Amino acid sequence: MTLHPAAWMAWATCAGVVAFTTTDPFYLGVLVAIAWFVYATCRVPGPTARSFRVFAIGGLMAMAIRTALVFLGTVDASNVAFAALEGARLATLLIVFGTFNAVTDPFGVVRLAPRRFHEPALAAALALSIAPRTIATAGRVREAQQLRGIRTARWRGLPSLAVPVLESGMEEAVTLAESMDARGHGRGRRTRYRPAHWTPAGVAVVVAASAAAGVFLAAAWVGLGGLHPSTSPLTWPEATPWLIGVLLLLALPGIFGAFRDPVA
Amino acid sequence: MNEVLRFEGVTFRYPESEIAALDDICLAIDEGTFVLAVGPTGAGKSTFLRAANGLVPHFTGGSFKGRVTVGGRDTMRYPPRKLADVVAFVPQDPASSFVLDRVEDELAYGMENLGVDPAHMRRRVEEMLDLLDIEPLRGRSVRAISGGERQRVAIAAAMAAGPRILVLDEPTSQLDPQGAEHVVAALQRLVHDQGMTVLLAEHRLERVAGSVDLAVGFHEGRAQLGSTADVIRNLAMGPPVARLGRLAGWDPVPLTVREARRMGGALPPRAHDRTEGPGDTMVEIRGLTAAHGDVPAVRDVDLQVGAGEIVALMGRNGAGKTTLLRTIVGVHEPRRGSVRIMGRVPHPGVDAALCPQEPDAILFADTVLDEVRTTLRARGRDEATAGLVLDALGIAPLAACHPRDLSAGQRLLVATAAVAAGGAPVLLLDEPTRGLDPASKDRLVRFLRGHAAHGGVGIFATHDVELAAAVATRVVMLAGGEVIADGDPGAVLGDSLVFAPQMTRAFGSGWLTPEQVAGALA
Repeated sequence: MTLHPAAWMAWATCAGVVAFTTTDPFYLGVLVAIAWFVYATCRVPGPTARSFRVFAIGGLMAMAIRTALVFLGTVDASNVAFAALEGARLATLLIVFGTFNAVTDPFGVVRLAPRRFHEPALAAALALSIAPRTIATAGRVREAQQLRGIRTARWRGLPSLAVPVLESGMEEAVTLAESMDARGHGRGRRTRYRPAHWTPAGVAVVVAASAAAGVFLAAAWVGLGGLHPSTSPLTWPEATPWLIGVLLLLALPGIFGAFRDPVA
Repeated sequence: MNEVLRFEGVTFRYPESEIAALDDICLAIDEGTFVLAVGPTGAGKSTFLRAANGLVPHFTGGSFKGRVTVGGRDTMRYPPRKLADVVAFVPQDPASSFVLDRVEDELAYGMENLGVDPAHMRRRVEEMLDLLDIEPLRGRSVRAISGGERQRVAIAAAMAAGPRILVLDEPTSQLDPQGAEHVVAALQRLVHDQGMTVLLAEHRLERVAGSVDLAVGFHEGRAQLGSTADVIRNLAMGPPVARLGRLAGWDPVPLTVREARRMGGALPPRAHDRTEGPGDTMVEIRGLTAAHGDVPAVRDVDLQVGAGEIVALMGRNGAGKTTLLRTIVGVHEPRRGSVRIMGRVPHPGVDAALCPQEPDAILFADTVLDEVRTTLRARGRDEATAGLVLDALGIAPLAACHPRDLSAGQRLLVATAAVAAGGAPVLLLDEPTRGLDPASKDRLVRFLRGHAAHGGVGIFATHDVELAAAVATRVVMLAGGEVIADGDPGAVLGDSLVFAPQMTRAFGSGWLTPEQVAGALA
């Protein structure tokens, strides 16, 4: 799916805003399903597509850790439920982010940043790409150690995994910075090669996503739709059908993706 | 002529290092010349190249004395980005230098930064795609293409920006012979037709010695600019034809196959060595098919390798060499067929050990010695034998160094030592001579022979035909994942246009090494 990178940026931001406004498992569940649908229909083939899985696993781990933290203090049903819902929100945010990474190139987005914001945007893009890169390196290193008969699964084998992964990561970052500088990054005057064009589909995605985010922000403002189910006392969460309908606006890129012209 | 690069009394030390990486270098390079930087591993070539565009010292720190001017600009006063319109740099590992994801965007990146007019940029990208023969890759991700393809993309991206001087650190190290010829020819064309200056470091001199105009020889941080023949003579290194010239006492030493043929005269075809047949079968591969996802990499391969054999796996980039090695060692699951080592399913690191193409993935210890000891400890072997392995590979003097402070070639030797130390009878090496100087290569050859002589098996994947000619007892040629030739190196390499070593080209069938030819001429 060749949406304008800025359209993807808008989609991801809006989906993130929606996730941020609610801890209701139904809304979050629908949002996760939408993120998966968009990933499945719009992902760019190649190694970046893996980042969805990485962020999904990371999200589930974050949720588990958030919940487990409760067990350090007073444990009762409402505390656990509260932590689990907070964790679910965090997991949803990460999954949306994973989709964003899998459907568009973070560096492509950086190129759109106005010149004044170029440096912070670049730092952000580099930071975003660290997790998927680290995971790829870890796989490579693990296998390389196996080739000489070292098992990295054991505690004693940990340095043999962690040291090359971290050092390679550092070296990669430095080499990248060097390469960008040597290729004239930050000289000021800049032109663009084949700039991406806005299509009606891209505009529609931005409008739909903004509408969804707007409605959820408004609902949170006036306290409508049970966005935060009560955990004390513990009650069964509820969801309003029309808000679910609004959520489905975020699935629009997936619908475009499913019907895309295979040649384009 | 117009001078484009000048070093005046340049002395440089890396931070926390006592030794001068560059020691009082004075030289000037004229516009429109093709210059080769040559010298032993770790002699300062990479540092020199990186000083030419200001990466040294702007990105390294350290103490820098003297002056480098490129296109009239002092590199101390101009940071690398302010030199990007004059000098472009292709680092040793191109993959680490890619900024964008798509090949096409990567080619345009430098031009975008320079503010090149979009219409001109569009045309220029197309020209570069054609010049390096990478048009089919234009829409692909730079992370999803082969090593050789990446190298060509990096070169195209550097050339696209239209610099006056192009600096390349071992640009053919990951390329098959045909791809290397292609790249060298493209560089030569830029020099001849567009007056560009090209400065490149290369160890495989047979690939470039005949094409360059001048050479800079490096030895322990000192440099000398001169004719290629003089520099090669002073450093006592060079392509196989130069080695032959030295063995036979010719002066000047030949640099190309043509010169060697003229000086040596005709020789009758050489009969194949009558070697005793291989020992007991150690590696047995039957009907092996392996794939990456849906893409087949190895198809229906049958191979038996006996004790004492040294097998060179050859074939163009992407022919399936690496996948075959990974399947033999036991980390890549075959789709069909089987691999048995001494009758059993191989256990990685025990029955067979593999040194991968990227040695950095295995280096983690604080010292070279410790790196080897770790393998010995993991395999439950005597740690005292670590010194022997280092000695055999000629890296004993580096025992106390931190592996990551070494040059690319030295790191590769350390990784090889760390893998070989485990004592697996089947030793597999993936591109074992990247960045190695001739002396290190000789030691690797002796090491492999020693391993085979003790009843082991050596199998290596390589693009280095001269290495295959020097050490292999058998050559297996792969194409599209299938074995297309298997036999004596003289026979397999001899009747190939692309893979024939220099001695075969100069003196005909059966002649593989300078030593053989020198013996026959004496």
